Amino acid sequence: MKKTFKGGIHPPDNKDLSKDCPITGLVKLPGQISVLMSQHIGAICKPVVKKRQEVEKGELIGDSEAFVSAKVHSPVSGTIKDINLRSHPVLGRVQAVVIEPSEAEPACPPEQNSFADFSEDDYTPEQINEKIAEAGIVGMGGAGFPTGVKVGPNPKMPKETMIVNACECEPYITCDYRVMLEWTDQFLAGIKLLRKASGCRKCYIGIENNKPEAIKLLRERTENEENIELSVLETKYPQGGERQLVNSVLGKVIPTGKIPPMVGVMVCNVSTAAAVAEAVIDSAPLTHRAVTVTGKGVQKPANLYVPTGTPTEHLIEQCGGLKEEAVKVVLGGPMTGFSVGELQTPTTKTTGCVLCLTKEEVGEAKYLFRQTPCIRCGRCLSVCPEKLNPTKIAHAVKADRLDLAEKHNISACMECGSCSYICPANIEVTGYIKTGKIRIARANKDMPA
Amino acid sequence: MSENLRVSPAPHISRKHSTKTIMLDVLIGLVPASAAAVYHFRQHAVILILTCILASVAVEYICCKLMKRENSLGDLSAVVTGLILALSLPPKLPVVYAVIGCIFAVGVCKMAFGGLGCNIFNPAMGARAFLTVSFGMAMASWHLPAQMNPDMPGLGPDTQVNAKNSSQEQKDQDVKLDAVTQATPLSWVKKAVKTRNAEKASEIIKSNWPNSQLKYALTGNIGGSLGETNALALLAGGIYLLIRRTISWHIPAAVLGSAFVFAEIGYLFDKTAFANPLVHMVSGGMLICAFFIATDPVSSPITRAGTVVFGCGVGLIIVLIRLFGAYPEGVMFAILIMNAFTPLIDRMLPAKPIGGIPDGK
Ligand code: SF4
Ligand code: SF4
Repeated sequence: MKKTFKGGIHPPDNKDLSKDCPITGLVKLPGQISVLMSQHIGAICKPVVKKRQEVEKGELIGDSEAFVSAKVHSPVSGTIKDINLRSHPVLGRVQAVVIEPSEAEPACPPEQNSFADFSEDDYTPEQINEKIAEAGIVGMGGAGFPTGVKVGPNPKMPKETMIVNACECEPYITCDYRVMLEWTDQFLAGIKLLRKASGCRKCYIGIENNKPEAIKLLRERTENEENIELSVLETKYPQGGERQLVNSVLGKVIPTGKIPPMVGVMVCNVSTAAAVAEAVIDSAPLTHRAVTVTGKGVQKPANLYVPTGTPTEHLIEQCGGLKEEAVKVVLGGPMTGFSVGELQTPTTKTTGCVLCLTKEEVGEAKYLFRQTPCIRCGRCLSVCPEKLNPTKIAHAVKADRLDLAEKHNISACMECGSCSYICPANIEVTGYIKTGKIRIARANKDMPA
Repeated sequence: MSENLRVSPAPHISRKHSTKTIMLDVLIGLVPASAAAVYHFRQHAVILILTCILASVAVEYICCKLMKRENSLGDLSAVVTGLILALSLPPKLPVVYAVIGCIFAVGVCKMAFGGLGCNIFNPAMGARAFLTVSFGMAMASWHLPAQMNPDMPGLGPDTQVNAKNSSQEQKDQDVKLDAVTQATPLSWVKKAVKTRNAEKASEIIKSNWPNSQLKYALTGNIGGSLGETNALALLAGGIYLLIRRTISWHIPAAVLGSAFVFAEIGYLFDKTAFANPLVHMVSGGMLICAFFIATDPVSSPITRAGTVVFGCGVGLIIVLIRLFGAYPEGVMFAILIMNAFTPLIDRMLPAKPIGGIPDGK
């Protein structure tokens, strides 16, 4: 029996574009690197450097007193040119530290031999935790929850099981896949460290069955590991959604609106695990990550090792530039990523993909924003992995009935986009739901405490 | 280059299908049945089908103009309504009536409610009901297929007797009606039930509907509405829709399953008065209903559980009307009655979040 969850969609995965491209360093550094002070869910950091100051690679440049936050470090040595607002893929405009690199050579992917003969017994959970927090690691799958907070002890919700999200269920993206193939030692070291730090007994690697090479390799490498088990899952979107992943791997259903720790599970991403290994073993902060630059709208798709804060445009240029037909550039995957109008927008720690889409890939109707009336076909309901009624919620938001939207569990929507993808009327169901959530949040803030 | 970039909320890709492709699939699915209709009823079928499609499209166009709306013909739903209405009409229905039906279907049942997606009732069935009520006689005169087999029900001795009766009492419309309706298998069944005389009934059924003649219903060599007679053509179209996933299997399975079960109950209860359930499956509007009419997304419930309840309701009402009602055929009323229940079903069976209803709701 195939392990999977109910609902979901099967978009063409288009991973062939980049799946055989090894992770390579940049050819040259961009003229300016804009490190955004908000790289994660939680409090926005305050710059701890001043204009015109020299910084070293790996030096702390942003920090926050808040509990749910992650430190920000400089990915290059250079001079602080500016501290100003820069466009953020999600939040509009956010304060950023703009650095002009003084080094000539961009960084290469980490050397792997330092991770080969590693033993987790050399570290105590406290040491690991501290190093993770120091390195400013956040979940690199998309949402970006600070890993230090996630792994740290929480007496109310003790963690028992860890699941590594190796699904990479979004179409096009292959950076996690390349990390597993190329940085296997580092990845496995990271898993062991995370398991130790969180006190989990068992660890599962949840991987979709469309990555046979990675499955084979990991199977060989984890054969003798007692506590690490591969869990091969059906290829389906959003298999890598936390709640779906827990459901597929363990068969557990997380109550609506709750998160995996509620059932004693910690979920973490492939690149995050790799970053943890680097942070603990090499004491290196999180300043670079593997990014897939792909889509039929870019000349030469690639997997690149990118310093955080690199302008999108620079990455596209390195891949030969946009093709004539490109109509959309997305930071993140096609299902949950954010389209940018300004190619200066810098990447963040959570940007795993720069996706350049052509009109054909987007679809004519979607390109023209052409929506037709809902025909009540129920397709959005049957694909919703949370089993909500997306069209009803969208209608409620459209009619400005936020109370109704809440009654239909708008907050339980994980914004996976499956409903919009499947809708024959091309209604931006997820878009309406997102708008509704923002409006509800605003309304609640206005209320007297 | 970057000025041309589009910004919009995720997701950024979509499945390459639309309301139009769904409707197109339904039309393709109806091709075998339409072709069979033309084969069986020749020019009558051609005229009715073309009239209904053209009239429906025209009515929708005019409504859009009058309501100052964007022209919605592109979604092809008017064509589907026209074709389904045509296939549910008796072959020799005067063209004027057909046009009136189209005006009612598109103008009243669909556009007056707000257009596609807002209508409560299935437009084609609403119009058919309207025609049945308004022009009862014309709507119940059945014309035999061109290649009618001489030993088929309808040309058997019983019919001739009835025909003679009717010519004797030409002014008595009821009797005349009775005589003409003999040509459809379901009217045999109805007649048998009506006699309340077990022996006579079993005789009628046996003489007119021996099981071996199921094959005539399968191949459409039988009286009936344009698109209802050829069961194989309808099945082929239905299977096409299922394979294309244009419809899910829930509604057809529920309609056919429940109709079979209830017909079987009747059959077991009284074999002499009720027809073999298989007869019910392949005759009348059962198959076109299960695959093409009940599956209309707009007027059926939205949740899976809801569609199953809806389908079972349709199946049950069809059989009840066929066995006990005043009409030989129940599809149209079954659909309309269940359409009326759709909002209630949607409310009773809402989507249930996978992790249960959160606290405080
Ligand atoms: S309603 Fe939310 S969770 Fe459900 S399919 Fe749509 S985006 Fe995904
Ligand atoms: S998929 Fe689109 S058309 Fe179908 S019910 Fe949902 S919102 Fe309506």
